[in-house]
Amino acid sequence: MRIPRQEADAMVARALEGYPFEVCGVFLGRGGDVRRAVGVANRETERPRVRYQIAPADLIRLQREGEAEGLEIVGYYHSHPDHPARPSETDRSVAAGGLSDGVFHVVIGVEQGIRGTPTAWVFRDADQAFHAEPLEIE
Amino acid sequence: MAIRVQVPAPLRSLTGGAAEVSVEASDVAGLVDALEASHKGLRDRLYDASGELRSYVRVFVNEEDVRFLGGKAAPLKAGDVVAIVPAIAGGL
Repeated sequence: MRIPRQEADAMVARALEGYPFEVCGVFLGRGGDVRRAVGVANRETERPRVRYQIAPADLIRLQREGEAEGLEIVGYYHSHPDHPARPSETDRSVAAGGLSDGVFHVVIGVEQGIRGTPTAWVFRDADQAFHAEPLEIE
Repeated sequence: MAIRVQVPAPLRSLTGGAAEVSVEASDVAGLVDALEASHKGLRDRLYDASGELRSYVRVFVNEEDVRFLGGKAAPLKAGDVVAIVPAIAGGL
């Protein structure tokens, strides 16, 4: 997937600012071209250091916003404070239970709130797994 | 009664790429049946093995979650807009 540098930088900055909690957001774009990375509130109330949830109402709002710009929701991002920048088993099981085929996920590993490393993945229903995806920051 | 259904990107391979489709239905269960009739394979993506809405799939009628409107029995009327939305969550 491709993402403009300005959007990628803002996404990582947001993950650092949100540390030690998980932050999350939505990618609006077309196909593998992300045009905007829109931060949304982490609605997880019980364990926001290790879990995130995006409110369906936020998704409906962003889907509508995107349509007005000729864009659609093509993926999501979330951070892993002090954990590796790769999807967890929790991430995989949620994706497997829902509508995630072909959807991009960026996971941002955040070390001590200082350094953020984004990695990209795409979920495939065929084998119910995330696959590493080249992340092109342009 | 024509109901407009907004389809998320991961399901559009089943709707010929359409982001929105129209079906006739008087409740949510009927809507899923109608979707399956016109777009084969959609039901399995919306229901789990026991025939209930999948836990990570949310269905909204005019922006109200159907879980609070009677679930599969939630009534629909002409002009309603139904949104199918994935529940996005995860973590460590």
